[in-house]
Amino acid sequence: MISRRTLLQSGTAALLANSVGRSIAAEPTGEPIYLGVSGPLTGPNAQYGAQWKQGFDLALDQINGSGGIKGRPLRYIFEDTQSDPKQTVAVAQKFVADKRIVAELGDFASPASMAASPIYQRAGLVQFGFTNSHPAFTKPGDFIWSNSVSQADEQPLNATYVVNKLGFKRIAVLYLNTDWGRTSKDHFAAKAKELGAEVVASEGYQPDEKDFRSTLVRVRDAKPDGLFLVSYYADGALIVRQARQTGVTVPIAASSSIYSPKFIELGAEASEGVFTNARFFPEDPRPEVQSFVTTFQAKYGKEPDAFNAYAYDTVVLFGQVLREAPNLDRTTIRDTLARVKDVPSVVYGKATFDPQTRRVLGAQSAQLVVRNGRFTLWDGVKTN
Amino acid sequence: MTSWFDHTINGLIIGNIYGLLAVGLALIFGVSRLINFAHGSVYVVGAYVGWVAVSVLHTPFPVTLALVVILAALLGIAIERFGIRPLAGAPRIAPLLATIGLSFVLDQTVQILFSPDPRSVPMQLPNWRLEIGGGSIGMLDLLIGGIGITAAGALFAFLKLTKWGWAVRATALDRDAARVVGVDVDQVNRIVFAIAAALGGVGGVLVGMYYNVITPTMGFEATLKGIVAEVVGGVGNVPGAIVGSLLLGIIESYGVALLGTSYRNLFAFLLLIAILVLRPNGLFASRHQLPPEPMTGTFIAPSKPIGLPVPLLAALAAFAIALPLLIDNGYLIQTLTNAWLYALLGLSLTLVAGTSGQVSLGHAALLAIGGYTSALLAADYGFPVWLTIIAGGLMAAGLGTLLVSPAFRLRGHYVSIATLGIGEIVALVILNWESVTHGPIGVAGIPPLEFFGRPLYDTNAIYWVAFAIMLALALLQVRLLSSHLGRTMRAVRDDDVAARSFGISLNRYKGLAFAFGGFVAGISGAFTAHMYSFINHETFNTHISVLALTIAILGGMGNVGGAILGAVALIGLPEVFRIAAEYRILLYGIALLLLVRFRPQGLLGTV
Repeated sequence: MISRRTLLQSGTAALLANSVGRSIAAEPTGEPIYLGVSGPLTGPNAQYGAQWKQGFDLALDQINGSGGIKGRPLRYIFEDTQSDPKQTVAVAQKFVADKRIVAELGDFASPASMAASPIYQRAGLVQFGFTNSHPAFTKPGDFIWSNSVSQADEQPLNATYVVNKLGFKRIAVLYLNTDWGRTSKDHFAAKAKELGAEVVASEGYQPDEKDFRSTLVRVRDAKPDGLFLVSYYADGALIVRQARQTGVTVPIAASSSIYSPKFIELGAEASEGVFTNARFFPEDPRPEVQSFVTTFQAKYGKEPDAFNAYAYDTVVLFGQVLREAPNLDRTTIRDTLARVKDVPSVVYGKATFDPQTRRVLGAQSAQLVVRNGRFTLWDGVKTN
Repeated sequence: MTSWFDHTINGLIIGNIYGLLAVGLALIFGVSRLINFAHGSVYVVGAYVGWVAVSVLHTPFPVTLALVVILAALLGIAIERFGIRPLAGAPRIAPLLATIGLSFVLDQTVQILFSPDPRSVPMQLPNWRLEIGGGSIGMLDLLIGGIGITAAGALFAFLKLTKWGWAVRATALDRDAARVVGVDVDQVNRIVFAIAAALGGVGGVLVGMYYNVITPTMGFEATLKGIVAEVVGGVGNVPGAIVGSLLLGIIESYGVALLGTSYRNLFAFLLLIAILVLRPNGLFASRHQLPPEPMTGTFIAPSKPIGLPVPLLAALAAFAIALPLLIDNGYLIQTLTNAWLYALLGLSLTLVAGTSGQVSLGHAALLAIGGYTSALLAADYGFPVWLTIIAGGLMAAGLGTLLVSPAFRLRGHYVSIATLGIGEIVALVILNWESVTHGPIGVAGIPPLEFFGRPLYDTNAIYWVAFAIMLALALLQVRLLSSHLGRTMRAVRDDDVAARSFGISLNRYKGLAFAFGGFVAGISGAFTAHMYSFINHETFNTHISVLALTIAILGGMGNVGGAILGAVALIGLPEVFRIAAEYRILLYGIALLLLVRFRPQGLLGTV
């Protein structure tokens, strides 16, 4: 919906020239502490930057509403990069030179994020990629960290759900042909084979693809008994719609990245019966999830999705890191990331870094299915 | 067997959708000889007008369509009046830049008003489906096909039977002659833009309903496919555009059937190149069509380039070298480093397009070839970086010239379209040739730049090396242009018939231009790869090709200093406008439009 609020929000954003995070009335006074965010606010990935902002703002409300960090408010400076490498390197230089910034979050896509890594590593400012699942992302050095769900961690869960619980034996995989999609597909296929299922077709598609009918006929001819999608919500919705139109009637499951109310909006009736293995869902009783979902709904009037959750989790994590850090030196922040234990997290339950890989393991999983236009807990009914 | 039937049906369905855009592009191309990059943006605007009508105003389907037609047509008239007509006397390339600027402005306006989130467009037709083969088709498929064919038929009748139609065709054939015999050429253009925009807008809303999703950025990809379909059918040929679209759809569909989804666009662009090489006027072009006019040179009075005095240039260079010592600002230095690297790309394109008249729209491919060659040799085979960067330049020179050589026999805008296709093919080969390029995973851990064996990390040091390389190659290019080589290349650009009659081998000089330009761009790509430490097939994308052309046009075609100034301006502007947050790309588009409006021959003038 185009509401007056969206218009107002974009208007206010213009006034707040450099997009400094919102502040609320009861927040602590004192010199703010800043996180730098490098991400897309314009260009083809702009929607993800907008979702990040919602997650960040919600987490900041909570942190600053409960006293901030050492009596100081936490804020962020969001620089738009369009997820374009030549802009992320410039923004990286801007952030490393800005002494107010204690750590950097982002960017979105791998080519853009990883182009800036040498600059952050060299300057000794933590680059924290929270959507960067590229297996080599944290390799440039000890200042490069990520809490993005590792696909080596997530995909075996999906394979187990799909093969052991849903009973898929001949699986056709459609995957986004990016570093993320490709890595995910490989991990999924390996585990599915180990569990005794067969991957009868695997088709990689380009991110701007809209027409999947030919792909689906090719998939149909491989006679699968189930489809597995490694997709984001927009392309996932296109695929499920066109699957039914091309006479593909087998059940469909998808990785957690399709978890968004938008998937159901865009997929309409075709999203009915789609299975997924999400990191959280609104009825999840864990307290960190309940607090996230209810405050998110109160603030934005809609249900949060996966990208909102990643952004929220990340700022909550930094809230704890900054509170525990003995001082706000950039190196101390890095050392504290290695030390924090069991940070409450929507995605992980309790998040702890492996200091060697600088990643987090142990993502939560909730087995879901779309029923009556909502994601609900899977009822245990096998499909095959 | 049924699968092939299904693949054919699927090809026709997607071809249908391409047709809605191709018809409008063909019409504009036929009359204005203009690749209209803003056409995809009209399609986006049409889709969002449709969304407002359906979801906010709750209009019935015919009213929705009528609203879209009216508003899109008005937008088309406005584009023609304020974007294109003021450039009537300017070099042919200037309106192309104007449409690029317009597309930025329109896409960004939509994004700011409606947010970047994808939206669903509820379908307003009953969801009847017709079982056919193993799948089914819906009412909307038939309606899209019906509208495409009806529009093409109506346009055909309009062009053949009405007085205004004759005027449009006369203008398409020879604008000056039409004006002489009393055709109101402006009015003709207005009609053409209104009709094309109305069709584009309807296309947007129908495609939005078909996929149940619209986004503010869906126009660019749609324009690319529309251009391919249009060329296949024969540029400026309206019924041909429909047939070309259906053919493109079927070829893509068969491509997927044979080799898999990731080869889909490869088939589309190979078809494009095959058509251009075998039948450059398209499958349905008439025999007695005028040869395409070159996009630069010939009939344009070349503007007087602004000559900068040598002491001033030397002072500017000295200032650029001293800059990191004068201020400690890594952000500024990094931005300028990027500008020097894009200046190399601009130098390459301004030589190829400006001096020898081969307007390339696939220049990012040269960066990619240089970048991948250097990155793979250094990361996978351990060669020293200075050597791999040179190898990257040589590979881009050799492979680039070889790839583009089938296009040497083409003239004018066909070169642009062919190079656009070749650029896409290079990106798709990189994506699919996994054993060498690592496919979508990309090349990670590329060794850093080095200077005589010492790794370069320091921002200032990288800046100096980039500037030195850029300056050296720019001086080499100046030297080249003032030699007989430069004169011959300009002769090829200005009048290839005359040049040939003087015994100049056209292909050899075009090849030389691409080889030198390829080397310069390859060095830039290789340098970038080592600076970034990670590249994949998306690092050097089509948007960079468009940026390269923008740099060359803005600086002044063929002008070495202009390419450098253009790169500084176009890399710098988005950074300067950072203060405007979400509005910065909108401002960038407006700045581009103003620059091309008031300085169509480029900042420093065409050489």
